[in-house]
Amino acid sequence: MRIRDFHQSYAHDEAIWQTPTSRLWLAALFIALLLFPFTANGYIVGLACVLGIHVIGAAGLNIMTGYTGLISLGHAAFMGVGCYTAAWLGQRGLPFYLTIPLGGLVAALLGLVVGIPSLRIKGLYLAVATLAMQFILVFVFREWESVTGGVRGVNVPNAELFGIELNNDFRMYYVIAFFAVLLLVGARNLFRTRIGRAFIAIRDKDISAEVLGINLFRYKLLAFAIGSFYAGVAGALLGYFYRAMTPEYFTLTLSIFYLAAVIVGGLGTMLGTILGAVFMTLVPELLRAVVSFIAQWAPRAVEVLSPMQEIVFGLLIVGFLVFEPHGLVEIWRRVRRFFHLWPFRA
Amino acid sequence: MNDSQPNPLRRRILGASAGATGLATAGLPLQAALAQSGEIVFGAAPPITGVFAFAGVGLHQGLGDYCEWRNTKGGIAGRKIKYIGEDSGYKMDQAMSVFKKIMGAHKPPVFYGDSTAWAKASAKEVSQMGSVLTCSPSFSSDLADPKNVPYYFMAGPTYAAMCEILLQYIARTSKGANKPAVAFVYSDTEFGRDPISAAKATAQKLGIPVVMEIVTKPGAVDVSSEVAKLRRAKPDFVIFHGYVLAPIPEFIKQMREAGMNTTPMGTIWSMDKTTVDAMGAAAEGWMGVLPYRYSYDTKDAPTMQIIKDYTAKARPQMQYVPTFYTNGWLVGMIFSEVIERCLKANKALTGPNMKAALESINDWDTGGLTGLLVSLKGHQIGSGRIYAYDAKSKLMEPASGWIKTA
Repeated sequence: MRIRDFHQSYAHDEAIWQTPTSRLWLAALFIALLLFPFTANGYIVGLACVLGIHVIGAAGLNIMTGYTGLISLGHAAFMGVGCYTAAWLGQRGLPFYLTIPLGGLVAALLGLVVGIPSLRIKGLYLAVATLAMQFILVFVFREWESVTGGVRGVNVPNAELFGIELNNDFRMYYVIAFFAVLLLVGARNLFRTRIGRAFIAIRDKDISAEVLGINLFRYKLLAFAIGSFYAGVAGALLGYFYRAMTPEYFTLTLSIFYLAAVIVGGLGTMLGTILGAVFMTLVPELLRAVVSFIAQWAPRAVEVLSPMQEIVFGLLIVGFLVFEPHGLVEIWRRVRRFFHLWPFRA
Repeated sequence: MNDSQPNPLRRRILGASAGATGLATAGLPLQAALAQSGEIVFGAAPPITGVFAFAGVGLHQGLGDYCEWRNTKGGIAGRKIKYIGEDSGYKMDQAMSVFKKIMGAHKPPVFYGDSTAWAKASAKEVSQMGSVLTCSPSFSSDLADPKNVPYYFMAGPTYAAMCEILLQYIARTSKGANKPAVAFVYSDTEFGRDPISAAKATAQKLGIPVVMEIVTKPGAVDVSSEVAKLRRAKPDFVIFHGYVLAPIPEFIKQMREAGMNTTPMGTIWSMDKTTVDAMGAAAEGWMGVLPYRYSYDTKDAPTMQIIKDYTAKARPQMQYVPTFYTNGWLVGMIFSEVIERCLKANKALTGPNMKAALESINDWDTGGLTGLLVSLKGHQIGSGRIYAYDAKSKLMEPASGWIKTA
């Protein structure tokens, strides 16, 4: 049951985590994040790293699409920009704590350019414009050999901190977790500011927003820049995580992956972003774990069951969209509401 | 309770702890002994689904079946092989995840990946581990590099070496003073572009003029403008690379309609019988390079006969053994040979030891899967044969002897 939630001041009213219980849970989550790599095996830690990167990438797209209503199909390309920027700067001796934000910044600058058409077009038309940028950027990744290594790809130097090489998943986990927490908290706060509220107003009705004094030019471009920054940071982290990258990673399929993550998780919520990324990353892993479990007794089952995984995964996505169109976050909200009143009213 | 009295619960806990410690201590040498004498795990992330599934299923079946067959023959130096393969979906993230999962849980000494992207992304980690020898269906020229990618090999020639075999064949079969002209048509992918600069250099060395170079999308449909360019360039041979099927049949069809007397050629992934059958009428005149024998060619190939007998028994529904299956089987043979050499020399299965064992493979008989004796010093099998489609038998038949690369 929710208790001790009595607002006595505006500061209390504006707080992100308003109750002692929520603060306690947050502290527990923080400690769990810190201790996690000590309790899990290498595979799980590696998976957590990928998940962290996807959470950041999905958060960027949710800022653009979920909060501001600007559909983007070029998100993967912005990740590529971040990845190649970090790799290029890293090869020239810049430390990772500079190359990662710089990767985000270069992606943000490109996001500003891509955002320009959003002033005249929206909806499906904007989706097509961003799709064009996806193809243009992937073309640049393939052709600009001196920077990107062309189709052969690029090697990303190991991240290094105080002389310690961050050359395994255990060490990279903390870098990824740091950026994920920082950017998620940043995004959460963003929507408590004028900028974030302007984004939401534009999403709900851009003409009304303009009538209310919101500069559409400025805020739409800003939304693109911030979303692209997140993608750039995710791409840079991806480069440091795998330490090698080819342009074939940043395809339209990856952009669709992020779009699916934010839709399945819940558009316009940061928790939905996390849940969507978890769903899209972990469900295929779980399905594969089921197949490999069965394969212990029937080794040839892998040949038959592996294609079935894709079908089951697709059906699960469709199922969630049909039965919970507001995304996984709505299921989470219902569970929370239940416990707010429990045990007095279930 | 009196403190001086023994506490039965505490005694039980202490007893259990002592027992557990004893078992754990006793278990350590047992665990070490098992690592030296237990099953040898072959890990794999084959692309059973995804765009490469046409080959991935065969690769997976070939490697898995080799392990089963080898176990019926006593395994490797008396140790059984356990094959653990999980679908990669031909996605780099998924392949890396499977790699990490299997490496973490089973610590296999050998691992078979799914692609060039996987091989490149895992290379640093593999070098760092220094405990696993890797291979994949990728024949990327960058990966046959014992210095920079020390723990990777390929069960065939690189794509550049395949083009070299094709060009050697063209040079050898040409008559007259002028060498035939060649055009390269390749996909705009890492796979497609891989051998082109090396192939152009080889052509120049052999005195073969390269009259045209065309880049297309991997599954391009409309190729009329490209065929018009080829028509103007008048090549005697067109080498297609970086495709499986499309747009090769469309190119051949339009080239014939344009009255061109050009021989189309391909590389490994366009050479399986199932792919050639899918070309339909366009298959007539099709030639290409393959580093292996086709499964219907069992003469002087006892291993191919073993494969045929084994699949007839274990996979009765399999009417034809694809070349992908042969690749998987051959990878299993090489993995086993490397491990056997280490075990016989009483060396631990570490990366450097397995690399040394791999590089010591010289004049090795694959039982006819490859035409020539194999050397893996350069981490690739540098030989292949030209096959041509025979419209009568509807099979790819040898058009040359086995050609070794430089």
